[in-house]
Amino acid sequence: MPSSDSEDFESADEGSPETDKKVRKKRTSSSHYSDSNSQETNTGDKVTAKDNSQKVNVEPNVEAKTDGWDDFDIDCPVENEKLTKVKETKKLTKEADKPQSTGWDDFDDWGNDDATATTAVTTEKTQTDKSAADIKELTDRLASATSKNSGWGWGWGVDSLLSTASAGITTLTSQVSQGISTVLETGIGAPDPEELARINAKTTENTEQKSSSEHKSIEPSVVQEKEQTSPNEGSFPFGSLFSGVTKFVETTGTKVIAGGLDTLETIGKKTMEVLQDGDPGLAKKRAMLGLDPGEKPVLSQILREAKAKADEEDKIREEKREAKEVHYENLFDDFEGLVHLEALEMLSKQVNMRIEERLRAAEPEKKQDIKETMQQVVELCEIPEDEEDDDEAPEHQSKPDALHDRLQTATQDLGLKLQFQPIVKQYTDVLAWLSSNSNLNEKAVYKRAVSSLAQATALAVEIYHKTAEMLLVKTRRSTADEADAMTQMTVVLTKHVGELATLFTANMNSIETDNKDQVNTYITNIFLESGNSSTYIQNAFQLTLPILQIGAV
Amino acid sequence: MLAVLNSHEMLQIMTSGPYNYSYIFKYIIIGDMGVGKSCLLHQFTDKKFMADCPHTIGVEFGTRIIEVAGQKIKLQIWDTAGQERFRAVTRSYYRGAAGALMVYDITRRSTYNHLSSWLTDTRNLTNPSTVIFLIGNKSDLDGQRDVTYEEAKQFADENGLMFVEASAKTGQNVEEAFLETAKKIYQSIQDGRLDLNAAESGVQHKPASPGRPLAAPPAARDNCSC
Repeated sequence: MPSSDSEDFESADEGSPETDKKVRKKRTSSSHYSDSNSQETNTGDKVTAKDNSQKVNVEPNVEAKTDGWDDFDIDCPVENEKLTKVKETKKLTKEADKPQSTGWDDFDDWGNDDATATTAVTTEKTQTDKSAADIKELTDRLASATSKNSGWGWGWGVDSLLSTASAGITTLTSQVSQGISTVLETGIGAPDPEELARINAKTTENTEQKSSSEHKSIEPSVVQEKEQTSPNEGSFPFGSLFSGVTKFVETTGTKVIAGGLDTLETIGKKTMEVLQDGDPGLAKKRAMLGLDPGEKPVLSQILREAKAKADEEDKIREEKREAKEVHYENLFDDFEGLVHLEALEMLSKQVNMRIEERLRAAEPEKKQDIKETMQQVVELCEIPEDEEDDDEAPEHQSKPDALHDRLQTATQDLGLKLQFQPIVKQYTDVLAWLSSNSNLNEKAVYKRAVSSLAQATALAVEIYHKTAEMLLVKTRRSTADEADAMTQMTVVLTKHVGELATLFTANMNSIETDNKDQVNTYITNIFLESGNSSTYIQNAFQLTLPILQIGAV
Repeated sequence: MLAVLNSHEMLQIMTSGPYNYSYIFKYIIIGDMGVGKSCLLHQFTDKKFMADCPHTIGVEFGTRIIEVAGQKIKLQIWDTAGQERFRAVTRSYYRGAAGALMVYDITRRSTYNHLSSWLTDTRNLTNPSTVIFLIGNKSDLDGQRDVTYEEAKQFADENGLMFVEASAKTGQNVEEAFLETAKKIYQSIQDGRLDLNAAESGVQHKPASPGRPLAAPPAARDNCSC
């Protein structure tokens, strides 16, 4: 038993695998919750249909996703959509699904931070595109903006962008800021690029050659990515986008002019540029926000997760606090068991020192005698094997009285007036509590069980301590009798704590509950604590040994 | 020889549990039989006067949590037996006391005369940083006074002891004696005069992060029945 004792303690208090499960369960559900939440946010983007299809196609388009340009490309429409809050965008995105050959590659290149690349592409575009004039104007502006502001770094925040915007068209500023904040919250990794890449994978590859030749100056990896996404060239409905925008411009009136649109696009591009500066594909930013590339950093979601985490911690703290309430060692200390044990130990050490002094001072023969006598005392104090002597309480006697009698009988040869009332009274109280409270829940019984075991053990240790003190001031010692009495007393006390554990577990078993697992854990713990109690009692007995020995030497 | 944990180690481990105090100070109350040691303890812990206190056998214990400089401190008070026959036993308990309350009865000169013997024991059996507080009990019985305040005060000053006259019956100065001792001990900790790591300091600092205390490893023995 002693060897398993530390384990006993461990499981005794921690006996809450249920708790862990619960916590885990909670965690899982909370993550579900946030998942669905992020989906909710997506629906708010007015691109639900696309969203869903994108979700399905995330896997095959991983590479496309990592391409920085795609992100930008898509964010532009999203941003516009936010800004204008017109349904046109929806129409546009729908149209995007249809394969068309427009100036897609023009936009395609905007994502590159490289100003020279942009310029180079611009030249190409002017040659190939249908709507060359319009595009050229746009891209030229962009190119110049890019080279002009090539020094933009992270120090450039949204504020700077906004000031640029206000320089353009003041009436749109508020919308711009709205748009930007919405974009930032709903996430940079907008779904569209994957979607587009998927669609375009089906289209012809003839344009691919062209695009790869275009970007010879760009590093190979970029070229490779380019090849993956290049089918976009043939499909992006640039013309329709433009016409859609034009329509919008018309409907909104003369206030919003083409230059305004350009400015917005410049802002969009710049935003992405700043965001992606030294971080292609926004991988770092995503990592910083603790999100997988596919997830979107949504503030509300993060806050919700933080709250869930805090709730969880509170729960754990509460459980810990409760665990402390039924903490055997703390209770044992509260009942002064620990300090009695400490005092007994101090006495024991002191006496041991005196014995050693005597041994040192003794003649060699006498020394041998003393050692033999001490060994005899040790042998006398060996606890007999569990002999099943019937110490059942006689019919007429209550259990506490029987305990008192047994203790008296065991210790009558000690020649001391020991006080057994406290431990007998405690037993009476326990029995009364168990019989008077019929509708107890398992937790209450468990708490009382641990507390009662700790208290009974503390009282038992106190008996050993008092006995040791009184033996030391006893004038006439009779070591053999004392040793026998102490051994018997140890048997009685050990049985008593076992009996207490049995009483509580029997009561626990009679409780009708749905939580049978919890009850079983409690029962196991009660028996473990009762084993713990026996160990304390045995320890106290062993500490008393030198006090018995010194009476004989 | 028993392989039991050193008591301090054991206590250290055990008390590292979740308590709402930062320190544990061990006090010891000493003095002749009948001077009112147990009554002083009861007055301090229960705010009650026990008229017929039985003789203490060996040592009894009392605890109370107090606050010094915003720190919660648990006082673990060892109330020793005053009877001469227990002298050898009680001497075992001095070790590791952070504070010693040395009590005499102002109405019985003999209890005052024995102070030097008690002081010698205390000095020999505790460490130099142990705070010794002299209490002249039964100050409510001024009419039967046998020892003047001035005389006792001089003795205290000569020996570097703190001193008050108190009454366990009325409670006068009882609180002060216990609290002043704690303040002095706390001051010693702050000044670094008292080494918390020394087993004999009588002070334990509770670790801030309560962990699950380890079980007391059972004593190594061969005759265990289980």
